[in-house]
Amino acid sequence: MSVPLSQMWTVATYVLRQKLAGRKRYPFVLMLEPLFRCNLACAGCGKIQYPAQILRKNLSVEKCLAAVEECGAPMVSIPGGEPLMYPEIDRLVAELVNRKKYVYLCTNAILLKEELGRFEPSKYLSFSVHMDGLREEHDEAVCRDGVYDQAVPAIREAVARGFRVTTNSTLFDGASPLRMREFFDEMMDLGVEGMMISPGYSYSKAPDQEHFLLQSRTHDLFSRMLSKPKKRWRFNQSPLFLRFLMGKHDFECTPWGNPTYNMFGWQRPCYLLQEGYARTFQELMDTTPWENYGKKSGNEKCRDCMVHCGYEATAVDYTFSSVKGFVETVGVTLTGRL
Amino acid sequence: MSLEGWVPDVGPYLTLAEVVEFAFDYRGNTTIVKTDGSEVVGYIFNRSTYGPEPFLEYFEEGGEGPFTLRYAEIANVKFSGKDPAAGNSWKAWLERKEREKAEKAAAAGSVRDPGPHRG
Repeated sequence: MSVPLSQMWTVATYVLRQKLAGRKRYPFVLMLEPLFRCNLACAGCGKIQYPAQILRKNLSVEKCLAAVEECGAPMVSIPGGEPLMYPEIDRLVAELVNRKKYVYLCTNAILLKEELGRFEPSKYLSFSVHMDGLREEHDEAVCRDGVYDQAVPAIREAVARGFRVTTNSTLFDGASPLRMREFFDEMMDLGVEGMMISPGYSYSKAPDQEHFLLQSRTHDLFSRMLSKPKKRWRFNQSPLFLRFLMGKHDFECTPWGNPTYNMFGWQRPCYLLQEGYARTFQELMDTTPWENYGKKSGNEKCRDCMVHCGYEATAVDYTFSSVKGFVETVGVTLTGRL
Repeated sequence: MSLEGWVPDVGPYLTLAEVVEFAFDYRGNTTIVKTDGSEVVGYIFNRSTYGPEPFLEYFEEGGEGPFTLRYAEIANVKFSGKDPAAGNSWKAWLERKEREKAEKAAAAGSVRDPGPHRG
């Protein structure tokens, strides 16, 4: 596993502070969407289908920072849209780094090489590059040829300049475990700090509705992909979440774990579902009927969801909620055996 | 199925609240017809039926907003704008890839098959 010690320490002390304060629900990662524009139109994405006036809009840096303060999560993920198309992305990142927030700037890396000069390497900043597999699989997932070959040199350049670089991969039905294992090797060869993997979610607005994974298929795919993991593979996520994907844990969703803020407000109930907006973070936490979400609720939209934004928070919370969870996490981290 | 172009018939069988719910789920612009007969075009991004005054929120077609409108001020919502979630880009990509594959296969076939043997 590859989360840096300082980041682990920050998250661990944050979680313990929440527990000591008796907070039942608290956020881990703020999903900050400063824009919806993107230079790709991926088949599995349900985030960018809006009319022109919405796609032209940007949240102001001040609004972004106010949301970060309001939420209080130690980590901020900046998805979108494509964040490198946000005109003030350098200022936003610099402000977040000044506030000692761990920032994951999620990018397809098409613009990364030319925009790198706007950023300073920092332990608080990681470029999280969207890579859905090797060349053929990735270009197919993003519906454009040549994107893989743009991302690879950009990753190399960012690593060479001393930036933290991770990858994030969304997997759909039909993914080949063998090809993904080759992909892990290739990413490690590129020198990325760690990889994040997750099954995709069946966005109702995504163009491709046919290839989302059912729960049993997810277990099968991830078990085969992660069986006997190579020592050199590093994952930038909770090992217990990976075990959950392999069917070795039965977690419940933590929909408030990764709250989402964008130009519409605080999205209810989670990053994936879009059932309305609250005007403040507190309103989101206090008035969302959380009992209606997660597998146990019987909500059909949650039935097959195993996405990291709902379950990684559960895995981290489990680590710090019991001796058993802590020992298991430490054991898997040290041995690398999933 | 897209709701693009739909003009709902608000009445005893279809309430305004139901229409707004469809509009909230729609990713294109809509035309909000107000009870005074005036119309405004925009993207409805939120609605709330809690509390004594149900309302919706929208950004105008020109980008201004957000604005709030009470249900009591609305007569109907027309699904006038293009539906960007209709999935055409994915279909176009698939069709192009299939065409390319077929062309490649045809080209490979013509190389492998030199035609009738003339020896």
